[in-house]
Amino acid sequence: MYVDLQVEIGVNAKVPLTLRNPVMVASGTFGYGTEYARLIDIQRLGAIVCKGITVRPRRGNRGPRIVETPGGMLNAIGLQNVGIRRLVDEKAPLWVQWDVPVIVNIAGDTVDEFASMAGQLDGVPGVAGIELNISCPNVWEGGRVIGEDAATTAAITEAVRARTGLPVLVKLSPEVADICGVARAAEEAGADAVSLINTLVGMKIDTRTGRPVLANVTGGLSGPAIRPVAVWLVYAVSQVVGIPVVGMGGIASIEDVLEFILAGATAVQVGTATFAEPRTALDIIDQLPDAVCARGRASVHELRGLAHSGRDR
Amino acid sequence: MKLFTAFVLDNEEIMRATNVLTLRAGQVARSASPGQFLHIRCDDGCAPFLRRPMSVYRTERDTIQLMIRDVGAGSARLVRARSGDPLDCLGPLGRGFHLDSHARNVLMVGGGYGVAPLVGLAERAVHQGMSVTLAVGAASAELIFPPSLLPEEVEYLVATDDGSAGHRGYVTDLVGERLAWADAVYACGPLPMMAALARVVRDAAPRKRVQVAMEERMGCAMGVCLGCVIETTRGPLRVCTEGPVFDIRQIVWRDEPAALGTGG
Repeated sequence: MYVDLQVEIGVNAKVPLTLRNPVMVASGTFGYGTEYARLIDIQRLGAIVCKGITVRPRRGNRGPRIVETPGGMLNAIGLQNVGIRRLVDEKAPLWVQWDVPVIVNIAGDTVDEFASMAGQLDGVPGVAGIELNISCPNVWEGGRVIGEDAATTAAITEAVRARTGLPVLVKLSPEVADICGVARAAEEAGADAVSLINTLVGMKIDTRTGRPVLANVTGGLSGPAIRPVAVWLVYAVSQVVGIPVVGMGGIASIEDVLEFILAGATAVQVGTATFAEPRTALDIIDQLPDAVCARGRASVHELRGLAHSGRDR
Repeated sequence: MKLFTAFVLDNEEIMRATNVLTLRAGQVARSASPGQFLHIRCDDGCAPFLRRPMSVYRTERDTIQLMIRDVGAGSARLVRARSGDPLDCLGPLGRGFHLDSHARNVLMVGGGYGVAPLVGLAERAVHQGMSVTLAVGAASAELIFPPSLLPEEVEYLVATDDGSAGHRGYVTDLVGERLAWADAVYACGPLPMMAALARVVRDAAPRKRVQVAMEERMGCAMGVCLGCVIETTRGPLRVCTEGPVFDIRQIVWRDEPAALGTGG
């Protein structure tokens, strides 16, 4: 039986984005896409979200930068990246030749930086969309994130929207007082989708030395440990916005993807699980048609949000 | 480099808390060299979740041997592996030691279970007719690599912290007088040992070519997560991709916090 896996993001954008399937790989867990190409068939992915990029290249934080924790890991990479100029000059020309769409994750210090990077990416062949990293926990003073309030989120989104016709996804932090308010602000300011969740701030202490393991002291928690938080926030946000919700946070199996779709996600991103098993996203894509079928549906859309009370079963 | 399932052929304890796992690895075994590593899934679920990088100890035809010290959740699982168990492996990964074919006299310096890649390298060096000295250091005698597992042609120097075997003190105390003799030096061990070696080399033989295999916590081992990045004179580099083997002069050594109660 044929099962429709296709997903649209940015139906109102100048350049809408059609994904062959709803399973993307998350920013920071797939480099610039080239690295895993040696190991798996990356062209079958729904989309690739590349490593967060900044206006200037960054060297990142001192090590140790990562440590495993129960059901996941902490990372404090510090946005090490090649800078937007080299991304446009060296990476985008490779992506043009690919079937799989590449979404560029951008991280600015200010509204102007976000807008300027969006302008630089607009019209670049090989760039299929932009994800706004308004929520990286590792590079802001005192652990503050720029996207913690609705007003800043709206300002960034609006400024980016004015500079690009590409689909714009706004990636949300779970560590805000009112994530639904932030999501609505993004939608009203012209976002084509919201993606959530980014990592949660945490730390691990080495009891032998008495010191934090990470040189940065804190890091972003990812992996299956954060999945219930992510499922809940996707469930909540998808009830207050009309744009697609892209769900992520600890996805490692087809079961996990179904949970996010039932919670209201239109698409998902596999992140940390790729480190443990590089084939995770592809395995999920292979299993998705049968999983949809087994629940008596002909498309993933028909499963979306069924967990919400009062929905037609 | 590929994803593959390796079956455990044998698992033998060779010293305290340290086992040699023999894996049937097919073609991968022929392409793996000392200093490279396999990234191994230790559990199907979350105990632990991430793979663990394990240095190649020896290779022989279609088998790869790993020397694994039980130091945490991942390695504890691996040392309990039984013959016939399948292991989900990714590799071989990284850039291994480059054995300089012009070298006649080779010095190897190992700390703790960092001796693992040096044993396979020593075998290759002996096979090529080189004179090899292997100096190792460990906390005490029961953690010293058994000399019976080393080719007879290799000179073996031992240091222990408590003096229970060989020289009482650090392995770096033993290398000073050998540096002038050696054409090439290879090292692997804990960061403080290798930082100490870097100081000895800088003071006694600054032009000596010394290759060190670095260890760092790893996420993907594919060059993607940037978790295992270390500071070098060439900028931040990934242990999994540009390493694990580096020229010792390129490493910017960081201070490791001392253990509580040691006055550090």
